Amino acid sequence: MVEENIRVVRCGGSELNFRRAVFSADSKYIFCVSGDFVKVYSTATEECVHILHGHRNLVTGIQLNPNNHLQLYSCSLDGTIKLWDYIDGILIKTFIVGCKLHSLFTVAQAEDSVFVTVNKEKPDIFQLVSVKLPKSSSQEVEAKELSIVLDYINQSPKCIAFGNEGVYVAAVRDFYLSVYFFKKKTTSRFTLSSSRNKKHAKNNFTCVACHPKEDCIASGHMDGKIRLWRNFYDEKKYTYTCLHWHHDMVMDLAFSVTGSSLLSGGRESVLVEWRDAMEKNKEFLPRLGATIEHISVSPAGDLFCTSHSDNKIMIIHRNLEASAVIQGLVKDRSIFTGLMIDPRTKALVLNGKPGHLQFYSLQSDKQLYNLDIMQQEYINDYGLIQIELTKAAFGCFGNWLATVEQRQEKETELELQMKLWMYSKKTQGFILNTKIHMPHEDCITALCFCNAEKSEQPTLVTASKDGYFKVWILTDDSDIYKKAVGWTCDFVGSYHKYQATNCCFSEDGSLLAVSFEEIVTIWDSETWELKCTFCQRAGKIRHLCFGRLTCSKYLLGATENGILSCWNLLSCALEWSAKLNVRVMEPDPNSENIAAISQSSVGSDLFVFKPSEPRPLYIQKGISREEVQWGVFVPRDVPESFTSAAYQWLNRSQFYFLTKSQSLLTFSTKSPEEKLTPTSKQLLAEESLPTTPFYFILGKHRQQQDEKLNETLENELVQLPLTENIPAISELLHTPAHVLPSAVFLCSMFVNSLLLSKETKSAEEMPKDVDMEEEKESENSDEENDFTGRIQDTNNTDLGEDVIHQLSKSEEKELRKFRKIDYSWIAAL
Amino acid sequence: MAAGGGGSGDPLAPAGVPCAFSPHSQAYFALASTDGHLRVWETASNRLHQEYVPSAHLSGTCTCLAWAPARLQAKESPQRKKRKSEAVGMSNQTDLLALGTAVGSILLYSTVKGELHSKLISGGHDNRVNCIQWHQDSGCLYSCSDDKHIVEWNVQTCKVKCKWKGDNSSVSSLCISPDGKMLLSAGRTIKLWVLETKEVYRHFTGHATPVSSLMFTTIRPPNESQPFDGITGLYFLSGAVHDRLLNVWQVRSENKEKSAVMSFTVTDEPVYIDLTLSENKEEPVKLAVVCRDGQVHLFEHILNGYCKKPLTSNCTIQIATPGKGKKSTPKPIPILAAGFCSDKMSLLLVYGSWFQPTIERVALNSREPHMCLVRDISNCWAPKVETAITKVRTPVINSEAKVLVPGIPGHHAAIKPAPPQTEQVESKRKSGGNEVSIEERLGAMDIDTHKKGKDDLQTNSFPVLLTQGLESNDFEMLNKVLQTRNLNLIKKTVLRMPLHTVIPLLQELTKRLQGHPNSAVLMVQWLKCVLTVHASYLSTLPDLVPQLGTLYQLMESRVKTFQKLSHLHGKLILLITQVTASEKTKETTSPGQQAKLVYEEESSEEESDDEIADKDSDDNWDEDEEESESEKDEDDAEDEDEDAEGKDEENGEDRDRASEKELNGDSDLDPENESEEE
Repeated sequence: MVEENIRVVRCGGSELNFRRAVFSADSKYIFCVSGDFVKVYSTATEECVHILHGHRNLVTGIQLNPNNHLQLYSCSLDGTIKLWDYIDGILIKTFIVGCKLHSLFTVAQAEDSVFVTVNKEKPDIFQLVSVKLPKSSSQEVEAKELSIVLDYINQSPKCIAFGNEGVYVAAVRDFYLSVYFFKKKTTSRFTLSSSRNKKHAKNNFTCVACHPKEDCIASGHMDGKIRLWRNFYDEKKYTYTCLHWHHDMVMDLAFSVTGSSLLSGGRESVLVEWRDAMEKNKEFLPRLGATIEHISVSPAGDLFCTSHSDNKIMIIHRNLEASAVIQGLVKDRSIFTGLMIDPRTKALVLNGKPGHLQFYSLQSDKQLYNLDIMQQEYINDYGLIQIELTKAAFGCFGNWLATVEQRQEKETELELQMKLWMYSKKTQGFILNTKIHMPHEDCITALCFCNAEKSEQPTLVTASKDGYFKVWILTDDSDIYKKAVGWTCDFVGSYHKYQATNCCFSEDGSLLAVSFEEIVTIWDSETWELKCTFCQRAGKIRHLCFGRLTCSKYLLGATENGILSCWNLLSCALEWSAKLNVRVMEPDPNSENIAAISQSSVGSDLFVFKPSEPRPLYIQKGISREEVQWGVFVPRDVPESFTSAAYQWLNRSQFYFLTKSQSLLTFSTKSPEEKLTPTSKQLLAEESLPTTPFYFILGKHRQQQDEKLNETLENELVQLPLTENIPAISELLHTPAHVLPSAVFLCSMFVNSLLLSKETKSAEEMPKDVDMEEEKESENSDEENDFTGRIQDTNNTDLGEDVIHQLSKSEEKELRKFRKIDYSWIAAL
Repeated sequence: MAAGGGGSGDPLAPAGVPCAFSPHSQAYFALASTDGHLRVWETASNRLHQEYVPSAHLSGTCTCLAWAPARLQAKESPQRKKRKSEAVGMSNQTDLLALGTAVGSILLYSTVKGELHSKLISGGHDNRVNCIQWHQDSGCLYSCSDDKHIVEWNVQTCKVKCKWKGDNSSVSSLCISPDGKMLLSAGRTIKLWVLETKEVYRHFTGHATPVSSLMFTTIRPPNESQPFDGITGLYFLSGAVHDRLLNVWQVRSENKEKSAVMSFTVTDEPVYIDLTLSENKEEPVKLAVVCRDGQVHLFEHILNGYCKKPLTSNCTIQIATPGKGKKSTPKPIPILAAGFCSDKMSLLLVYGSWFQPTIERVALNSREPHMCLVRDISNCWAPKVETAITKVRTPVINSEAKVLVPGIPGHHAAIKPAPPQTEQVESKRKSGGNEVSIEERLGAMDIDTHKKGKDDLQTNSFPVLLTQGLESNDFEMLNKVLQTRNLNLIKKTVLRMPLHTVIPLLQELTKRLQGHPNSAVLMVQWLKCVLTVHASYLSTLPDLVPQLGTLYQLMESRVKTFQKLSHLHGKLILLITQVTASEKTKETTSPGQQAKLVYEEESSEEESDDEIADKDSDDNWDEDEEESESEKDEDDAEDEDEDAEGKDEENGEDRDRASEKELNGDSDLDPENESEEE
């Protein structure tokens, strides 16, 4: 690395569930907004194919371009609408609108305009406006032509829906449903009559969806009801029916492509499919793991997807079978366990789904798996006090895992459980070894294993608010029936009934430091004798750690009052102290370095130092605007070789930290593109699949049709011949079999009728050919003209009847000519 | 990476199934099994990432596969240059997998999209493709086939760039030199081609059977003094079908030496070979060879010129099933592939069946010459679809797990024996011969109960049963006694039981208290009785603290919720019951001659209890008493009684804090009984 410049980079776990995911037209890709980016995932492999980056602020909406399904529109708070080619991940155009855009809608009928919600004056009042996208060849275009469609609407895009091919738009807010009809340019407003009634106090609208074919609007409500509105053209005669299954707020609604079924979801984490809008025809897909926030349906109709509050997108088949999960870093709830590294898989471990530990691979930026620690069904309900997985620690090179579960409903009603899991090499999984109920009388504040290499028996220390710390050791529990090992308490220590707040083993495992509020006590791990105490009277100790390697004689403590102290264990004296409001303090397992992140009103700053000297090796200010909650050093597989002294601390380990909003960040020296697109795997090779006969007949043909579809109206007319209107075919189908002429005649007839459209087109496109033919076949020129005339008007059925009788030479010649034309058509491919 | 051919009937076809780890971080393992399915596994989570069935999987099974090199695409291809460059940026190409088939076509499969990317047919092979190699940087692909040709493909356009005859027989293996300018091919002989001109640069004799793998092992020549032309001095490795020797060859400047420089010997035909490239002279080459017999041989060797003797492996890794019990003997589990991790210190092992392999990362310990890993893969056979989708792993919770609840030994630190000072005193006392005296006394008691048995069957048989049960540890017998609900009976039994059984009984009760709550309720009655009646005896015991520590903790934890109330209640109960008990014993035990003994015991206990208040004086007095006693002969009963009394007191005071605690414990017990009853 010659160019060394450390930057903070986002390394994973960005939010995927902010907005509805969007499927590509062929359901092969799914798009989701993720911070400032749009991510393109493959629905088959769950892999991220592209990251579309270009926006400078949060992306708030994405929609497929209705006129070209290979393009994608995105809008962002930076006031731009961008058009992307998602197959190659290329930005095509940027439309600058100017104001913050909060959501985006496209309608096929409104050809060159899109709809966005903007926030005009007051903070909570939003408007739906249509933006005319000017046609221009330049990359950046100003799009200032706005026209208001609806005023006073909700910010969430779930509260706006376009119905019946863009004939109307429905928007809900509070107790109102407003419908705007584009043709009449009128707005109808429906208020839930009993909105003031106490019984119906919770029937605010939460989301809305429109039937794709019929005039029907489905709205979801706070109380779990779904209302289906019909006949809303008339403000007085409108009707609605109620569907009620959800016991809590309906989070999102979506109609299937055909409109035959309605999907709904909410906190119950059950996807409900209402067939034919009937209350009794319900299908369920339960146990989706977390609250369903968004539902979307693929344009092809074969897939659904649900976005969940735990930052995952679930892809579900039409038959309600989950087929794939795109899972980011689970970020549903707060992180209690902190960041750990599993020594075995080198994965990042932290709280995951409720009651689970998640193992997250930092290399591939993917979740490996969730380890179900609690093994209890999670009940999704508002206001329940759940069991939380509060602490976890790995010991003995990943052979042991200790977890603490806690549930505290009231002050006095604490449920506490500690589990010790052994990694079984035989089965390659964790097995519960010891379960300890109420290991302490009060919450456990710290948990640490003695990870010294030479320690003969695994040792675990738990510190608790009840004023004690307990030492647990692994003992032999064998009896005549079985050989077994189990954990037992070896020692209970306390210090003047102060709360034990932290514990930490020295690198060689010979000393244990336990902090009791303001006082640090040092214990000999052989005899569990109290060796000495340190007290700085500078507030409660928040972090405690021993120095490593050459600095193992130092003990560091950071207090709540913003003092960082370093004690020398040999002289039992304070070596140095500094004023630093430390939020995170993490030692590097591979070096003497210690990273401390301090918190100030402006942001968080990073300090890297060695305990032997108070001067930091490296300082980086403003690593994050938010509070940093946890950090961890991750050993590198292959050491880097930074030469500059300031960056040497990154040589053997990488530092990751997690902010309050749960974005995982790290330091990188690589160029932004390189780091920001770790998974975007651009394909170098051109796609070239050999053409099969089927492809010649259908694929290519259709492709050509698609390409020319928009070219001219004329083409469109001839390109879509309706089979019913072709006289030859109707003749063929409607004439009784016994009066039909022989198949030889019919065959040529049939082929003729099918080739008509092509014939005209090629005739128009290649006038030379036609001329030549005309010259050759001058005798039959009349018929020729006649014929072409007929084909140009495909609806003309009169002449068709004559054709049967005209199975003469001319017909044969025509056929010959068709062969020629046919040939030219293939050559054109 | 070596990729063997498919399992066809050809005896000279390489054993094993084509498989390969994805380059660099080894995140994926691609495996084309004999049923024509291509499966890609995630190595970190051992999960099936995707499965692909080529449309012609039955006619043209996959014979070899190769991952496209993961590299940063520094410059963009000309087609893309006209487009906006910033969005494309740098990118990886890790996701392409080239599959060669038995009919001569080559498929490029995209693992990111999960679909076929392109198919290389036109102008290519018309027979089985034996090996595919990607060029590191030019975006070319080289393939060789049974049709004797080597083809150079341009992957961007999917067209043949060059096709030339590589050998007179089928070409079985290829390898590109580290600098990307030379190509090794193995047919009848091993040839080194100059890629630019497609001319043969060197010949090597090769093997007797088709070469299944070719690999360069070094990227720098051993002799660094000479100018390096990119190829001279490099070593490469070759393995062949049915050949237990892997040969190492050196590319030399003179074109004379054609035989192998050295060789490695393994136990069976090599199926999969992986190595870590040595980057300098000092660094040894690490070689992992998976053999057909399912073993992995690891070699670590600094390549340095000739070596006549074939080298044997430094370490062998085998995997076997646990083979529990007598019926099932341990069976070997075949290792299918092995790849070095990027840190070169650990090895990814793929083992089990081809359809559901297990992938594990094993740290290498080069000191051991033989590693046998015991793995239980019985539960791996049935793939769980659900876990594949939800990504939830459930750790095993079985009944063998130890459960610690408050009160169970091990939940709290065991109470250690009293400090050494008191121990000395105790030992002194032991020498004083009170053991004998107690035994005598108990012996007398025993006889006494036997005699009494004739008078009162019910009450008598119970103590006997209890004693016998405790001595023989007979569960049935103990059950019979301890299951009684009659309070009176319990009291009587406790009163008449021999003293030496008190501690065993207490331990038995403790054990039962830890069990089911229903039975614990009964045990509480017994416990209450024993502790009230024999409190004095218990307080005499020197090692009471360690002996009854668990019981104390159990009680402590169980009555924790109403601590103060239970303390008060316990003290009151203790007083009341002891008063009544002493009154009763006065009444009941008067007629019997030997019952006098028991009576004395009770009274002494009471005394000791009362005397707690004035410790110091008692203590001194006791010491004196004891000393004088030790000189005395213990002839008559009265003396003995005195002795016992003295000891009781003395013990009580000696153990100062501990006993106080214990007494509290005793008192605690009773309220607990009450609460349990409630």
